Amino acid sequence: MIWLNNVTKTYPNGSRGVENLNLHIEKGDFVFIVGSSGSGKSTLIKLLLKELEPTTGDIIINRVKTNELSSNQIPYLRRNLGVVFQDFRLLPNKTVYENVAFAMRVIEAPNRIIRRNVPAVLALVGLGKKGRSYPNQLSGGEQQRTALARAIVNNPPILICDEPTGNLDPETAWGIMQLLDDINKRGTTIVMATHARDIVDDMQKRVVTLKQGNIARDIKKGGYCDEA
Amino acid sequence: MRPSTIKYYLKEGLSGLRKNLLMTMASIIAVMACISIMSFSYCVASNLHHILQQMEDSIGISVFIGGTPTSEEIEEMKTQISKIDHVLEVRYISPGDALEELKADWGAEEDIFEGLDETNNPLSHSFQITLDEIESQDSVLQALKGIDGIDNIRHGQTETELIMKANKVFNIAGFLVMLILGVISVMIIMNTIRISVVNRRVEINIMKYVGATDWFIRWPFIIEGVIIGVVGALLPLIIGIPIYAKIISALYNYFPVIKIIQFRLVGDIFIVLFPVALAFGILLGTIGSVTSIRKHLRV
Ligand SMILES: Nc1ncnc2c1ncn2[C@@H]1O[C@H](COP(=O)(O)OP(=O)(O)OP(=O)(O)O)[C@@H](O)[C@H]1O
Ligand SMILES: [Mg+2]
Repeated sequence: MIWLNNVTKTYPNGSRGVENLNLHIEKGDFVFIVGSSGSGKSTLIKLLLKELEPTTGDIIINRVKTNELSSNQIPYLRRNLGVVFQDFRLLPNKTVYENVAFAMRVIEAPNRIIRRNVPAVLALVGLGKKGRSYPNQLSGGEQQRTALARAIVNNPPILICDEPTGNLDPETAWGIMQLLDDINKRGTTIVMATHARDIVDDMQKRVVTLKQGNIARDIKKGGYCDEA
Repeated sequence: MRPSTIKYYLKEGLSGLRKNLLMTMASIIAVMACISIMSFSYCVASNLHHILQQMEDSIGISVFIGGTPTSEEIEEMKTQISKIDHVLEVRYISPGDALEELKADWGAEEDIFEGLDETNNPLSHSFQITLDEIESQDSVLQALKGIDGIDNIRHGQTETELIMKANKVFNIAGFLVMLILGVISVMIIMNTIRISVVNRRVEINIMKYVGATDWFIRWPFIIEGVIIGVVGALLPLIIGIPIYAKIISALYNYFPVIKIIQFRLVGDIFIVLFPVALAFGILLGTIGSVTSIRKHLRV
């Protein structure tokens, strides 16, 4: 599903983002990307989202070499990728329902389908009764659930998260992880960059550890690695 | 494009304008100023042209022939004059006809011509020439001078030249002011759209993440510009119609002499002005928003 072949990203100011990454993520995988601050996690996520271009190397998503896509094809690549950030990024002047429906409207989904899918996905993330609330009327966990609902409402095969629990207390974070696990079990491939040692240890999923832009460790099923 | 998508663009465009009301109004006023000048210029120019056309029918050119030409010579001159460009009609007037016309013009006092008949008629043989357009009077006069046997040429050149010159100066001035106001409008619209883009940064960012196409992101901003253009064009026209009607009727009332000439009808003016002003307003709005989008919307 996702291949990285010898991917290097050097920022214009010369600082190294990632270096010579080789990574294969299969359909249905749940992968944690861990590593200390500055190890290149966000850089890797941005490369996957084609927010950044690799300096060298190929990135293949869904059999498409994304580094060779023209700019007007990027939107269609992004429709395969749901994305969740640490800071939620909700629109404050739209209700929960509208925030989620927004993701469908902008890819020109028919109203009929929007009216059917949005309530369903809100129910899935446990916000069935919060559709009319505005983001500032919600707890952090509820806001992140809204962001998660927005990320999956178009049913993307891949979900990419950059520290989705970074702003949440442990209990709330755990609720989000349960949801991600559910979503993964329905067949969605998940790539999640995180600092949260407890979560990684508890989930027992594949863990890719980055160190100074390189892969220091890649285990199929396990916990957080300290040495890296 | 789905109807729901078009509705979305309109809704977003309008909400962008509402959130940025002060700049929106400034843009609309700038477009209004530009369209008003354009409309005013058109009203004046079109009326002057209309008046000139009415004068064309009455003025024409008179050509007088010296001596007593034979009828062959007259026929020959008539064909020569007819061949000149822009000459619509050539009518031969014999001295006898001229005398009759003169008598008719003087009406009750025709007895001052008592005693004049074919034998001692002092009037000349002449041609009355009608032109297809008054602007070509100069070239026709030039051509007439090249024809042998012509004694004297009379025409309404000075009056028409004056009106034509006034018309030209007015057109150029109107066009220049319109151009300047147009550029100012585009600049203000550009700034309005820029602010709108900045206001929507977060939203645009999310749209990109969920896979909105570049055009989907751009359209609401173009719509904003178009709305500014449409409103800025329609307002001066709606205000302008009754004002034009008032001015025309006031002119007729205060200067009864003017009644011999006709101004253009409100309907005739605005059936041209409406589509032109609307198209021009939309053009200004589109240029403003598209340049602003190219500069500020990195999609
Ligand atoms: N826009 C940028 N311009 C220049 N250098 C950058 C930029 N973004 C990141 N870097 C550099 O790239 C390296 C990797 O950064 P990255 O953001 O990927 O780390 P991270 O693993 O996400 O860290 P954190 O856990 O703190 O979020 C760092 O050395 C950083 O200084
Ligand atoms: Mg990071």
